[in-house]
Amino acid sequence: MKDKRKSSLKIALHGMDDRAYKMMAMYLQGPCKGAAVVVEDLNAEVDIIDADSVKAKKLLEQRLTESDRPIIALSLQELAFKNILYVKKPIKTADLLSALSEADAIVSAKKKPQHSVGTHTKNTAALQAQDSIAKTENLLSSEKNQLKKQTTKTDEQKKTSKHQTAMQLDEGKFSAYIGSVPGLDVNDPKQFPDAVYNPKDYFQGYVQSALMVAEAKKQVLRLNSGWKSLIIFPHNHEVWLDADDKQLRAFASVAMNKISAPKMTLIPVESNPASIQEDLEKFHNKDAFLWKLAVWTSKGRYPSALDIHRAVFLKNWPNFTRLVVTPHALRISALLIAGPRTLPDIVEVLKIKLQYVFVFISAAYALGLVGQAKREVDEIFQPPAIKKSEQQGLLSRILGKLRANKS
Amino acid sequence: MSHYKIIFTGPVGAGKTTAIESISDTPPIKTDASASDMTKAKKASTTVAMDYGIMNLADGEKIHLYGTPGQERFDFMWDILTTGGIGLILLLDNTRADPFQDMKFFLDSFQKFIAETNVAIGVTQMDLSNKPTINDYHIQLQGMGIKPPVFSVDARVKNDVSILVQSLLYSLDPGIEV
Repeated sequence: MKDKRKSSLKIALHGMDDRAYKMMAMYLQGPCKGAAVVVEDLNAEVDIIDADSVKAKKLLEQRLTESDRPIIALSLQELAFKNILYVKKPIKTADLLSALSEADAIVSAKKKPQHSVGTHTKNTAALQAQDSIAKTENLLSSEKNQLKKQTTKTDEQKKTSKHQTAMQLDEGKFSAYIGSVPGLDVNDPKQFPDAVYNPKDYFQGYVQSALMVAEAKKQVLRLNSGWKSLIIFPHNHEVWLDADDKQLRAFASVAMNKISAPKMTLIPVESNPASIQEDLEKFHNKDAFLWKLAVWTSKGRYPSALDIHRAVFLKNWPNFTRLVVTPHALRISALLIAGPRTLPDIVEVLKIKLQYVFVFISAAYALGLVGQAKREVDEIFQPPAIKKSEQQGLLSRILGKLRANKS
Repeated sequence: MSHYKIIFTGPVGAGKTTAIESISDTPPIKTDASASDMTKAKKASTTVAMDYGIMNLADGEKIHLYGTPGQERFDFMWDILTTGGIGLILLLDNTRADPFQDMKFFLDSFQKFIAETNVAIGVTQMDLSNKPTINDYHIQLQGMGIKPPVFSVDARVKNDVSILVQSLLYSLDPGIEV
């Protein structure tokens, strides 16, 4: 099957819990040699349904009425449904490859307009079945060799933006990267009241709302802003934006006014535009995207929802290897994980500029990682003193070495 | 001169050898052998004693990077390896059947060492299997009463391994200035 196709057959899995879903995805990639790859429902060519699941009957009925994609049912029982390919559990690689091959033949027939689906006769099906058996035998014989990781890149691996390693900013690059608000010195304590911003006044606020709606509805949605298309894929925690970082950075800092705000619409996406399939590098991890957007919207300010005089806490460490690491972000995280502190207190303890604290807090707040200590007890007790390591000099030298050796 | 070391641990195939290779200044010494047990399903060879790499610091000091063998039958070595260690890097393979069980096993096994130092967790192979998510790991860890750094890591990428080690060091002391 793989010889004939340029890419793997795209499969959507239904009726499986997380563990079964993951095992099936790995089974297709490993023992089935990548003959099929699991994708989001919207992009799939074939459905695989666990017919023994509680919702199996409903799922099968739904798929048969709403979709014309081939269906492969996996079951412990012998099934004889019309228009459904059947693979008996426990699944044997040869059986599954054979069913995938048949499904592939149906998909290919549908794609060729000169050959209607009706011409997919029993004879051609028989020929394809023979063909698939021959190919299955080839695949099985190659399985005698040790399983190796796929060398061909999957669609997931082509999403380069999504998996890219963190950009670690030093203080020198920082200001140029995030920009500044004209006339505002966020490091001047007298200007604290002006060093705030409301994310809702910017693109960031609309993106955050749209992400929440998509997540709640579990529905692929498009945010139209009158600018570039943003499509949200809640199942994969991904967004797709038809713009590069430079364009996003410029748009992030533009305050939405009464004229532009009503142009924002959020609509369901029924089918993926072809451009998305071609521009896989425009996919971003949802959190990495929102973090970056908050950094550019903040420009060194802090969210107006936070009271600067009350302690904040960090729920957990941000996933720094996939985020823009702003100056001192790792230190601030380590400090806040140890206990809640006010923003000025962080500045004092770490002896760093306010803008580094503000921008980190803005990004972490956008991801829901920062909370404000509301209990009186958090305000009464002094934040824990930092336990100074006896090996501070050594640790500093190791850090210096690691930071100097960035790849 | 003191013998400073950072310990890399985790199950078979999590990327310990590769991670050490990413940040070591010298080609790491590997003690791989052909896999002959369950490990064979994961990779052709595996670490049977330990991996060893070195980071040379500017003042001539050396940081020794030790990777524990992944198989549990070698756990008698773990105590010896951790003696005098700066901290622990735990690498977890997200494609394994139950990464949470792996995490719990290693955190329990190194409990004493972690209590004396700290731990940072890197989750590998997330491009092949995106579940459990990093947030799922945090939820599990919350139940265990600890909040260590947990990052997606590609062990081949020096920057990923570097950020993970940096987070471990800052966890030990956020006040460190470079």
